[in-house]
Amino acid sequence: MTVTDARAPEEVSLRRILPPVVTGQEVVLLAVLAVLWVLLGIFTPAFLTAGSIGPLLVQVAPIALIGVGMTFVIITAGIDVSVAGMIMVCAVVTARTLVGADVPAVVAVALAVALGAVLGSVNGLLIAYGRVHPIIITFGTANVFTWLGLRVFDSSTVNNIPGTLSFLGRGAAGSTLGVPHSFALTLVAVAVAWWFLRYTRAGRNLYAIGGNQNAARLAGIKVQPRLVSVYLVTGALAGLAACMIIATGTSTLDQSVGAGKELQVIAAVVIGGTSILGGRGSVVGTLLGALLVQTVVSGVTQLGWPTQLGFLFVGVFILVAVGTDLIRERARRRA
Amino acid sequence: MTIRRTLRGVLALSAAAAVALAGCTSRNDPGQDPEPGDDTGGAAVEDLTIAFVPKLQGIPYFEAMNTGGQQAAEELGFEWLYQGPTTADAAAQADIVRSFIQQGVDVLFVAPNDPNSMAPLLEEAQNAGVHVATTDTDAPDSVREVFVNQASVEGIGQALTDALMEAMGGSGQYAIVSCGETAANLNAWIEVQEAYTASEYPEAEIVDIVYAGEDQAMATQMATDLMNSHPDLTGLVGECTSSAPGVAQAVEDAGRIGEVFTVGLGTPQSMLPYLESGASSGSILWDVEALGYLTGWAGVQLATGGDLGDTSSLTDDSLSEVSYDEASGELLLGPPTIFTAENAGDYDY
Repeated sequence: MTVTDARAPEEVSLRRILPPVVTGQEVVLLAVLAVLWVLLGIFTPAFLTAGSIGPLLVQVAPIALIGVGMTFVIITAGIDVSVAGMIMVCAVVTARTLVGADVPAVVAVALAVALGAVLGSVNGLLIAYGRVHPIIITFGTANVFTWLGLRVFDSSTVNNIPGTLSFLGRGAAGSTLGVPHSFALTLVAVAVAWWFLRYTRAGRNLYAIGGNQNAARLAGIKVQPRLVSVYLVTGALAGLAACMIIATGTSTLDQSVGAGKELQVIAAVVIGGTSILGGRGSVVGTLLGALLVQTVVSGVTQLGWPTQLGFLFVGVFILVAVGTDLIRERARRRA
Repeated sequence: MTIRRTLRGVLALSAAAAVALAGCTSRNDPGQDPEPGDDTGGAAVEDLTIAFVPKLQGIPYFEAMNTGGQQAAEELGFEWLYQGPTTADAAAQADIVRSFIQQGVDVLFVAPNDPNSMAPLLEEAQNAGVHVATTDTDAPDSVREVFVNQASVEGIGQALTDALMEAMGGSGQYAIVSCGETAANLNAWIEVQEAYTASEYPEAEIVDIVYAGEDQAMATQMATDLMNSHPDLTGLVGECTSSAPGVAQAVEDAGRIGEVFTVGLGTPQSMLPYLESGASSGSILWDVEALGYLTGWAGVQLATGGDLGDTSSLTDDSLSEVSYDEASGELLLGPPTIFTAENAGDYDY
């Protein structure tokens, strides 16, 4: 991948070496999504109504939001499988605080984000300075986080959670003019991340690190701080997503919260065209990937098809996405 | 280089998948002394250890059963052990069962996640001199001596259907949001609901049955999808304790209280806000603490050679309808309880 020289970049030269604004994978995803929505709109006319699309976007929001951080991580050729554990810890601590102290929404969100950032930075520090493969580190911390979360749950559920966070939820309080707040928030995060990855030096550095870490280091990129930051951001976003998950849940929170979310997030990123090998990827693709997954799952339910077909479709999408990425990578190396 | 990096990618993906399978931990019960297994026929109640392995630990339902079991232990004088996996995982549950066999407990109760894979393990336990039994969920083709049944399959299926039909006015389309697709008890109830609806309420129709796993958020999303794809839908059933509040939440979020009615098998505390708002028209369950108590009592009878059919020592009101069927080896708690906004607050689980 391209490595920008630390001193050279006049605007013009930077623009010239940037990849195209829209990649092939994003176009394909957008097309698939459009076709699916049209087909679903024809076969189950209710699919394209506000009552259907709104909740779908709310369901997508936390996945796509964490997906932004996960895209950063995977672009650096890393991975974070501790997302579910982080969600669990942030959700249960925030929920208990809401029940016990009845804090305002701002405080609850700030608490969750800060806690997520702390957990994420643990991942980041261990990975950047421990120099062990991220999957091993985050696999370890995933279990530690899960233990931590279960300790706070203490073999019971959190009951009677007040509606403090309902502005992030599925109900009427959760949207303005039909646009769910949680999805709008996610869109803002995607936009900022897109700009960051494309137009800032720090953002381009992530691609360089993922392309070849040693080369990036020799080129003067501060690899370790950058790595810490991507895991920290993922953790903070997981904290914010935990607030959305509390808001979309019932007034009871149990220990299944977050379970399986890490795989849903990774699926969205991979389907979105970010290379699992690092060095390539986009947050727009991740957003489209998350939308595609939820569209398929909701579509299967709305069409009255057997629920398990959703797994098959998502599985095929992942395999196709990874397959095309590997083929493309091979072609590039041969060229 | 290419090969190595490809491998790394593949490894990353497969290991990520492994997380879902391996991410289970279990808590140890504090302060229990392992005792060697011995023949306990006619043993004193004070020396008895009765262990219960729930499907999973940390959900209100099984915690309430544990409370009931502890209460029985206090009153009857035996030692009650309670430990389960943190996810409804058959393998993790099997490990806990094995550890109880090794500790040489006197009676072992299991609510199996997978009755088929639990059966050989129960036989192993019996060979080690442990009395084995099931509670909450049966393992029909096993060596279990008794199954402590919360309510009959017909009782639950019919109570659910009647409660929903009362709210829906006896007609209309409804859908079921179930949980595990292979859960035997849920599927048995659904069968009754289908047959009973067809025979008793010919104007009503079940339009779809979906499976959300034990995931509340998934249940809510699926209920939302069902309401959208079936505009004439006026009823939803949440078939387990995670989907019952889930479907009620979906109706509340959609602002369709009074248009779409829900019933489900939910614990009173988790259903109370929805019963009060009208998003849920009724929660069908049984007195879970009484079920736990009955489980403990049955354990004592098994270990001391007592008569399960003689329920005269069960004096509490919640246990007044207990009956024992010798042929099937089922100890039945009684008819299900219907929780409403009025009485749900009386239960603290």
